[in-house]
Amino acid sequence: MPESLLAPGAVLALWTLIMLGWVAATRFSAMSKAGVDLKAAPPGGRGVDLENVLPPAINWKSHNYTHLLEQPTVFYAVIVFLHLSGGSTDLTRALAWAYVVLRIVHSFWQATVNRIPVRFAIFGLSTFCLFALAVLAVIATLG
Amino acid sequence: METNAILGPVAALALWSMVIWVWMYATRLPAMRRAKIDVAKIVGGTGQNLETVLPPEVQWKAHNYNHLMEQPTIFYAVALALAIGGMGGGLNTQLAWAYVGLRIVHSLIQVTVNRVMWRFGVFALASLALLALCVHAFMGFVLH
Repeated sequence: MPESLLAPGAVLALWTLIMLGWVAATRFSAMSKAGVDLKAAPPGGRGVDLENVLPPAINWKSHNYTHLLEQPTVFYAVIVFLHLSGGSTDLTRALAWAYVVLRIVHSFWQATVNRIPVRFAIFGLSTFCLFALAVLAVIATLG
Repeated sequence: METNAILGPVAALALWSMVIWVWMYATRLPAMRRAKIDVAKIVGGTGQNLETVLPPEVQWKAHNYNHLMEQPTIFYAVALALAIGGMGGGLNTQLAWAYVGLRIVHSLIQVTVNRVMWRFGVFALASLALLALCVHAFMGFVLH
């Protein structure tokens, strides 16, 4: 396992752009099937405007990409705090890797099956890891 | 090699986000007055409630401000990690400036003409610059 606490952060950042690629790979063919012509789009259109236009399973990829730009922002901040304040330990590295692995599983689930109870359980577990990291970051930075 | 040089574009994009924040309120507050919205009487509510109330060009500023709080958060994280890991100079700094320059162009398109194809093209290019930075961070921290 790589030494740096920032390694799981690098993986999650890269994963986020892979999800963006998945959005692009599925959205454009769905748009042409739905008869949406990007070149003829009225000014100001946004991804959210496709919400009731494309099939839900297509939009699920985009929902997950958006989610990856929400809670993980706290994760990046916390691992940088920990890294800079001597809080990089076996425990924080394990928690950070667990968070990233769970978020990748969460992505696959949301992008494919997307049953809510399972997604919620994965999200709950990953949030627990982030919670623990945040507590340890407060201890590391105040201590 | 100045390994913290990448913090220059980081600071520039953060500042640019605040410029768009000012642009948003400079247009939103007069538009709210014209739409006879009395903020003093409002409880709850978010900016989204203005979506069909204010003219689209006014909301475009808010759309762009929101977008600047989305993908760029990955940019900040990766750029900071690269700087901390001693990889924040040279090509990575150039890629970061390319990302920031493209995001500024993206903002200017979205808040003015907002042609979807132009915006999409610039967004895609910016995403490629960010992808290169992410791959470099992955190689530096995970594969090394």
